[in-house]
Amino acid sequence: MFSTKKSLIAAAVVASMAAGSALAMSSNDKGGDTAAAAGKIEGKWAANYREIIKENGGKYLDREVMEKILGSDVNSLRAKLDPNNPYSFEVDDSIDGGPHGNAQCKVPKAFVEVWDSAEKNEKADYIANKFGKPIAESALKIWEINVDGDGNGWPNVSEEEAVTVEKGGNIYVQFCGMCHGEFGEGAKGYLPLAVDEDLVTSDFRDPAPMKTIGNYWPYATTIFDYSRRAMPFWSPNSPAIGDKGYLGITAYLIQANGIPLDDEDTTLDDSDKATAQVIMAANKYMKNQGNFFCDHRPVTHNKRCMKDCPDYLVGDGAGNIHHYRQARRLPDGTPQYNVNQRLHEAPPGVGHAGF
Amino acid sequence: MTDNRVEEKVAVQSEESRSQSRRAFLKGSAAVAGGVLFTKAASADYDPKKAVAPYAGEKEITEPLQDGPWRKRLGFGVRRYPYGVPSPYEKDVQRRTLEWLTPDSMASITMTPIQSLHGIITPNGLHFERFHGGAADIDPKTHRLVIHGLVERPLIFTVDDLKRFPSISRIHFIECPANGAMEWKGVQLNSVQWTHGMMSCVEYTGVRLSDLLKEAGIKLDKARWIIPEGADASGMSRSIPLEIAMDDCFVAYAQNGEALRREQGYPIRLVVPGCEANMWVKYLRRIKVTDVPLQHREETSKYTELMPDGTAQRFSWYMEPNSVITYPSPDYRMQGPGKYYVRGLAWSGRGKVAHVDVSFDGGKNWHEAHFTSPVLDKAWTRFEIEWDWDGSEAFLMSRVTDETGYVQPPMPQMRAVEGTNNVYHRTAMVTWRVHAWDSKNGGLIENVQY
Ligand code: HEC
Repeated sequence: MFSTKKSLIAAAVVASMAAGSALAMSSNDKGGDTAAAAGKIEGKWAANYREIIKENGGKYLDREVMEKILGSDVNSLRAKLDPNNPYSFEVDDSIDGGPHGNAQCKVPKAFVEVWDSAEKNEKADYIANKFGKPIAESALKIWEINVDGDGNGWPNVSEEEAVTVEKGGNIYVQFCGMCHGEFGEGAKGYLPLAVDEDLVTSDFRDPAPMKTIGNYWPYATTIFDYSRRAMPFWSPNSPAIGDKGYLGITAYLIQANGIPLDDEDTTLDDSDKATAQVIMAANKYMKNQGNFFCDHRPVTHNKRCMKDCPDYLVGDGAGNIHHYRQARRLPDGTPQYNVNQRLHEAPPGVGHAGF
Repeated sequence: MTDNRVEEKVAVQSEESRSQSRRAFLKGSAAVAGGVLFTKAASADYDPKKAVAPYAGEKEITEPLQDGPWRKRLGFGVRRYPYGVPSPYEKDVQRRTLEWLTPDSMASITMTPIQSLHGIITPNGLHFERFHGGAADIDPKTHRLVIHGLVERPLIFTVDDLKRFPSISRIHFIECPANGAMEWKGVQLNSVQWTHGMMSCVEYTGVRLSDLLKEAGIKLDKARWIIPEGADASGMSRSIPLEIAMDDCFVAYAQNGEALRREQGYPIRLVVPGCEANMWVKYLRRIKVTDVPLQHREETSKYTELMPDGTAQRFSWYMEPNSVITYPSPDYRMQGPGKYYVRGLAWSGRGKVAHVDVSFDGGKNWHEAHFTSPVLDKAWTRFEIEWDWDGSEAFLMSRVTDETGYVQPPMPQMRAVEGTNNVYHRTAMVTWRVHAWDSKNGGLIENVQY
């Protein structure tokens, strides 16, 4: 089943948040946005959070309102991973991949309370205008191309009809390799599809890691859904490839990314048939799938400071406003402007003074 | 007797006494913050002499004004341009792209020149473009929208059918979540067009999505997601939770009073107010109602955010509150010490903008700006604040607080939590450094990052 590392992530992120905050915030911070309490889980959210939000004019992301509801857990990601928290984006069944494996997220309860319009729109009676025409699901045979994370929507390709992984590789080289590289290494500036880079960089200025199928993608179904839907770029959902061919390409990309099919780390052989079953097997072993969690923004909960703000909110995060980074300089030391701008004419306020 | 604060102001603007007047200011009643001077408008009654006092000592123009050539001959007649175009003198106000961002113009982006815009509406021709498979050229007569899945009665509509429904018109900002992405690792570019141009704000007209879903008899007990899909080469899709779909989404056929442009999804697109522009599926042809999300490439490989520890955030929907000073900004140059009306835009994906504060000293002290435009839900809001620049180095920042009480963070704070490999949602403040008037690049305005 799904190899979730969610509780580990929670701990790790909390730790990194605390560390990051220590970097960014001075120790004399009082009442500001500190992650000092982030590790603590109270587990008891104010049950009357609706009233609290209402009493405060709907300000559900106001620091003080949140403290009233969450206590000191305002900044705690770990707390937000608890689906019972009114600020959590998580849905119960995504914690372990759920009964169907397809992770769900939701809009936090605290957010929904203030816009009751969705509920109103749902409840209001409605009688059809009869402006449309009925259509049968079967009429969508060609349009319906979704294959979701649970594997709903696979085309009917039997084991006998299916191509081998090797054949899939040939099709890939013929239709995809010129842009994505024969082995998924990328070409001509187009995205690579199989580069196994570490997702953690040591210096924050380092180039961002390449995120490809093996090291990043949480679902194998997405390879098929997207390739058939949108690739090859100049001729998507190509009949020359067909469902069998797209299955073959998908299996080849699973092989190229070294995605296992079971606990024994079995990987695809060239002679294996590229069927939906094979891809669903890989779908459970995507290397990075356990590292995703629901968006928990906003990540900061500051108070609106007006005068003599604490150092962590000023300049470089340590109170120094002269410690900044600049864009590249021209040889004579003047800042580089990336386009021809009218730097020495057109005073601001005269004409549009664009560039 | 003139108000002595006005006198001081006259003094500060006359070249020879700049330094003395600065001292006078420091002693006087005006608030001083980081070498930045603020004066309150005099509360006394209007006095024409006092009003023009700041011009005292300025050299008068005596040369007679000449007629321009357009005074001596007729201009062009009506219907020279059946569809009007901007003055040729505005030719520099353009959408622009950075070639190095993408290998292909069919999967690319252009940015809106927001440094040259006024008010809160983006003209259709300057609306930013984001394509994943080029702009489709669709004949609206053949275009169809299907609603199916967890509904009682799957239905198909023509564009004309949709126009028969009750209509709504709303002004909303639309922002690519990658807006500002190039600035995660430091400063790259000296223009608001590059730092914030992956967004626009227009008036949309269309049909409520909740009406369309109910027209087809959506099964609310089972439905949890809608999966919209485009008719173009990218077949764009996202999974949108029902709470958002039933809230304030609509299917738009018009933008700023005319039909959508092809670049924005002609003939119809989805409008998902306050949320990532990628969810606003263009060339909309199909909405499938489901109980599980699709896990489309655009919500797994892309539009998910890598955190510093290697974990990733998924299903990011709302655009956080954000703001930027558009004037003065790196596209301009200060014209000397004196008075400026600092302007900019603020917006929030979660509702209305409540406050915008401006700092001239890198975030130490803040001054509340006022709004010069209507304050609308999930729309650009224009702010302005008076500033008497004394010519010394300044660090300009704007900070929005929205109606939910969320306060826009500074960059070091956001970086500490989100790292710099995130790509999307870089919604922390930016800083414009104004070079001291008497320095080498005096008056230059530079994008710097803390
Ligand atoms: C003409 C060059 C070209 C060819 C040929 C091509 N692609 Fe692509 N591919 C692209 C571009 C461009 C994108 C990015 C599209 C976008 O940004 O929306 C892309 C994106 C992808 C992605 C998503 C990558 C990611 O990390 O999100 C996959 C998977 C993919 N292509 C698979 C294929 C397959 C399979 C084929 C062959 C059937 C193929 N491509 C052929 C240009 C190409």
